Amino acid sequence: MKQEIKAGEIVVFAATLLLAVVFAFPIYFNIMSAFKSNPEIMRDAIAFPKELYVESFKYLLTETKYPEAMLNSAILTVSSIAVMVLVIPMAAYAIERTNARWTNGIFTYFLFGMMIPFQVYMIPLFKQLKLIGLFGTLTGPILIYIAGSVGFGVLLYTSFLKGVPREIEESAEIDGCTRTGIFWKIVFPLLGPVTASMVVLQGLGIWNDFLMPMMVLPTGQAKTMIVELFYYVGEFSSRWDMIFAGTTMSLVPVLIAFLSLQKYFVKGVSSGAIKG
Amino acid sequence: MMANIKKKKWTNYAFWFLLPALLVYTGFVIVPTLSSVYLSFTSWDGISDDIRFIGLDNFIEIAKSPRVHNALKNTMIFAVALVVLENVVALALAVLVDQVRWFRNLFRSIFYFPVLMSGIIMGFIWMIILNYNFGVMNQLLDMTGLGSLKTDWLGDPDYALISIILSTVWKAAGYYMIIYLAGLQGIPQELNEAASIDGANRWQQFRHITFPLLAGATTVCVMLSMIGSLKIFDQIAVMTDGGPGFATETLTYIIYKVGFGELRQGFGTALAIVLFALTLIISLIQIKLLRKREVQM
Repeated sequence: MKQEIKAGEIVVFAATLLLAVVFAFPIYFNIMSAFKSNPEIMRDAIAFPKELYVESFKYLLTETKYPEAMLNSAILTVSSIAVMVLVIPMAAYAIERTNARWTNGIFTYFLFGMMIPFQVYMIPLFKQLKLIGLFGTLTGPILIYIAGSVGFGVLLYTSFLKGVPREIEESAEIDGCTRTGIFWKIVFPLLGPVTASMVVLQGLGIWNDFLMPMMVLPTGQAKTMIVELFYYVGEFSSRWDMIFAGTTMSLVPVLIAFLSLQKYFVKGVSSGAIKG
Repeated sequence: MMANIKKKKWTNYAFWFLLPALLVYTGFVIVPTLSSVYLSFTSWDGISDDIRFIGLDNFIEIAKSPRVHNALKNTMIFAVALVVLENVVALALAVLVDQVRWFRNLFRSIFYFPVLMSGIIMGFIWMIILNYNFGVMNQLLDMTGLGSLKTDWLGDPDYALISIILSTVWKAAGYYMIIYLAGLQGIPQELNEAASIDGANRWQQFRHITFPLLAGATTVCVMLSMIGSLKIFDQIAVMTDGGPGFATETLTYIIYKVGFGELRQGFGTALAIVLFALTLIISLIQIKLLRKREVQM
């Protein structure tokens, strides 16, 4: 049975397509401009590149600090996420399973952090980093990222843990397993979907972050990709081609992650939204 | 006795499980927040050890300073414009993606992808698109015979704010679209079918069935977009640096400018406390509204 195509469906499709062109254009424009020379971009911004121009990529990779910045971005993202996944589910587990007055108090204390924007505490934070000797290191930003994700992460994990039955843990306890063993061998593997959502959302946030790494990483050395790009906009105001090459290189890992982990991105948005 | 020992064991492990998160959160969120409260009563410059207590002077200056008033006004414009535009666009996108017959997933991905971009990259792309001499925007206006509408979108104080607002809508709408889409998919098909049999047209169905049933998603999206609008920073940094003049300076931006550009960190933290108060009020209203909705359901 073949369904007929109605006129209304064509109108809806046309409207969606038009909006999709508007939404996709800036991204298309970015990638296309990365393969054009600067005079070519300035002459005709809309035109397709005449030939594949890769000089801007070469320049960026050999003459600037961009490769080091890429490494820094990767280290910050991967190590922060790794520690988050160690620390946050454990805390959430203790809160959810103990359910005592003091753990519920700590839960509220953690949630409070979700209401504090970074700008509220950033000024004293820098003084504090200098005081304990973490200013200009990669450890500083990693700790700041972990601290900033505790509220949201604990909320995400505790609400999921409510649906995980206790029986298995109880029988494992009778068999003489330690708490730590029970958590890592039995409970943690069951938390896979939350872990995936958290890795994806927090990882993206760290990869794209700007203000904090700009301020706490040492001057004169490469910072992160996003921070370097920001500097290049001021420094190389006549090298748009090079900056477009840089933005394209920063977007590629995001695109790959999005295409391969789409369902976790979407899930993370809806679960985060419902909890506010 | 038995139960007591068991309980003690639980408490013991819970303490050690909680300790790392508790330490890092206290040390790197709560302690600096409390320091902010303290520093907001001082005239500290951010460098010297000379931290002088000046009472409420910073807050009195906030109440009097035209520059701060301008930043607050810009923040309000951002909040109202972004809440309205982001939600209208997001809802339209969600309805279209929900209804469209072909390439549904592809469309959803296209509308969502800008959400994943850094504000710096998004700001740079739009800065070039809106460039007066070489930008796509003015080139398109020329090509379509609307050359008289050509404007220096980011250099003209009358247009800079609206340019940042519209590019932010482009970036954020996909996020709220996902939430509306989840809401739309929870509405039973039968309701619209029944209304259709009773003679309701598509607009009436949307107006009287779909939209009221999306009330929950709307509350969440309005609140999230309001808090999100307070935090906008990256695109301002790259597109206008708060200018021209102070035309696009917002509360978050002035905190950064005053604290790090002008080395008046005492005053900067006082502004940060104002931001904190605003966020807190909005969050509390949000929690209240969400609770009320849960009761109704």
